[in-house]
Amino acid sequence: MNHRLYARAVAAALALSLSVAGIASAQMSHGGGHGAAMSIGQPGDASAVGRTIEITMHDNYYEPETLSVSEGETVRFLVKNAGAIVHEFNIATAEMHKAHEAEMQMLVDHGVLMPDRIDRAAAEKMKTSMGHGMHAAGNSLLLEPGQSGELIWRFADAKDLEFACNVPGHYQAGMMGDFRKAN
Amino acid sequence: MTATSFARACALAAAFTVSSVTAASAGDYSITVDRVALETGDFAKTAIGYNGSSTPTILRFKEGEEVTIAVTNNLAEDTSIHWHGLILPYRQDGVPGISFDGIKPGETFTYRFPIVQSGTYWFHSHTGFQEPDGAYGAIVIEPQGREPFRFDRDYVVQLTDAHPHSGERIMRNLKLMPDYYNRQQRTFLDFLNDSRDQGLSAALADRSAWGEMRMMPTDVEDLQGFTPLINGQDPAQNWTGLFEPGERVRLRFINSSAMTYFDIRIPGLQMTVVQADGNNVQPVTVDELRIAVAETYDVIVRPTEDRAYTVFAESMGRTAFARGTLAPRSGMEAEVPDLREPPLLTMADMGMAHGEHGSMDHGSSGPRAPQPTHTMADGTMMQGMNHGTMDHGAMGHGAMPMAGTDPFYAPGSGLTPQAADGGKFLSYADLKAQKPLYEHRDATREIELRLTGNMERYIWSINDVKYSDAEPIRLQYGERVRFKFVNETMMTHPMHLHGMWSILDVGQGKWNPVKHVVSVAPGTTLYMETEVDAPGEWAFHCHLSYHMDSGMFRKVIVEGGPAGKSADLPAVPQQTTGG
Repeated sequence: MNHRLYARAVAAALALSLSVAGIASAQMSHGGGHGAAMSIGQPGDASAVGRTIEITMHDNYYEPETLSVSEGETVRFLVKNAGAIVHEFNIATAEMHKAHEAEMQMLVDHGVLMPDRIDRAAAEKMKTSMGHGMHAAGNSLLLEPGQSGELIWRFADAKDLEFACNVPGHYQAGMMGDFRKAN
Repeated sequence: MTATSFARACALAAAFTVSSVTAASAGDYSITVDRVALETGDFAKTAIGYNGSSTPTILRFKEGEEVTIAVTNNLAEDTSIHWHGLILPYRQDGVPGISFDGIKPGETFTYRFPIVQSGTYWFHSHTGFQEPDGAYGAIVIEPQGREPFRFDRDYVVQLTDAHPHSGERIMRNLKLMPDYYNRQQRTFLDFLNDSRDQGLSAALADRSAWGEMRMMPTDVEDLQGFTPLINGQDPAQNWTGLFEPGERVRLRFINSSAMTYFDIRIPGLQMTVVQADGNNVQPVTVDELRIAVAETYDVIVRPTEDRAYTVFAESMGRTAFARGTLAPRSGMEAEVPDLREPPLLTMADMGMAHGEHGSMDHGSSGPRAPQPTHTMADGTMMQGMNHGTMDHGAMGHGAMPMAGTDPFYAPGSGLTPQAADGGKFLSYADLKAQKPLYEHRDATREIELRLTGNMERYIWSINDVKYSDAEPIRLQYGERVRFKFVNETMMTHPMHLHGMWSILDVGQGKWNPVKHVVSVAPGTTLYMETEVDAPGEWAFHCHLSYHMDSGMFRKVIVEGGPAGKSADLPAVPQQTTGG
């Protein structure tokens, strides 16, 4: 794939990073009353990328399933959906994934998220009827079968960080992986 | 040790490991069919079991393996084993009178077939009432590649409805008196209560309708008085599966009951359904599921707390429950819920209440959603009904939540499942194939099968003809046949086609799930399609033991097909040896 095509594919993939509520700040404070806000990190700068990690999404699991990252590290993820079903690569805590799955369920209920494709017309309709639709969230990629996408992420201090697919049922079936702290 | 000899040693070690694994997973299996003692908290009796035990045998195969299974009959009567859900040459399918002659007392019959699939299945006798008498076991087939889901523990959870009476005696009693085992008879007191709640004329009309039908609102289970078992253990014996908190546990639910549907839940845990009838489905997370007779569902649960969880399986008629436990340590117990109120069948389950449900949104369930049928088995029924006096209040709906909108039940059906905790109850509509087995295409023809019966004489039939009087259904190799099941009875029928897959139409096109049993609720029409790809002669029947025996059964003959395909496998009789 030449550079321009690749950029276009990435743009398309990013456009598909659908999130109803969005996790715009990528910040979270533990609902459990921990008090101290933790950060899962934030979208990173291409100039700060230290290394690239390739992730292949299958039906319904990741390869690899465990990754080591350091606090403060900026990583470029090249994610390919090699399956026949739509999958997501989403960086968040287990709690956030759970909340996000409910949003994804809405996309299913509105006929936006089909097993093997995103129905853009249905997405428009949903946006019109509900007043809000989907907008990009920097911590996730939602990819149709055969698509590839890129996500640059700067890791912060959150513990229990996971990458997961929140297409309903996929996380519970085991389509998730752990970030282990390298430092 | 030199580098070369070390390498050689490693190679040898590796070869040894491989061959020992192969020896364990490929090749020869043997099963004995025996009289065994079955003891539950409610009764003790002599039953039938495999390998001398009332604990069901689990056969573990590997996809791609060629299995040889020697079955020795230690009974004083003929027996057989049918490999439920396995795709195999028809001579190996184990149905006496269709696939072979059965296995005589004292003989050993050797089955031989390739394992061409993976997942959870089961096996059982297809002779007489041996299956209700205990002749069932589990089959677990490991796939060649990796599973599309993850689990740390793996348990078979095989359910049955053990009964103190032998199957033969039960059939005799049902023939004499179809409500012999219905312990939930409507009494005169119920009638008085109905009259008070509904008014006398409505109560009378209601009674008259049920009487004409020769059924009662409590006819959800025509066999009661059984003790549900999990892996051969009654609720007090409490089958237990161990886990470490945080682990994913795969539960392979198999319903090997003669007659009983179960509603299964694990309070405190959600279940992610990943397989139905051995075929992977796109994962769907539920709080509760209903398992029809002869179905299997594989679920993943992830208990995170250091405590016990109850696996609770209530019979659909709420007359009994099976109970097991998931726990971090053996001996632990969790609270066992009470049985919920028994459901009452409604006019909708007679296929008569459709007219009043104009406001229900059928469209949401897809273009192929089952529609309630107007047709009744007994034409005289219609005359006895006075629609004018019927309203929902008169049909016993008041006592039941109306939230259920499962398109696979007649609108207003008393059987529509409701999750105990108000959560998500699995519907057939939720099942989507993980990876379609066949290219999707239009069916080449449709065959209508009306599920019919005469409850008074305990005759169950298809298109009003019982098996002994029926012509076989002839299919041509290469067809894709669309079966239309119209349930004209008030019972739920789990229909099982041998030898070929049943693609259940849930309105999802190529994602329609691939099953071996499709359950047809009262007052509904359900479609399934079959790619006719297995030459030979196959059984096709309701899997409720006493319905099957009394005639809800057909032989299917698949004509044509390439030479060398399954129909031409070595003749079976030579494989039988005296013993």
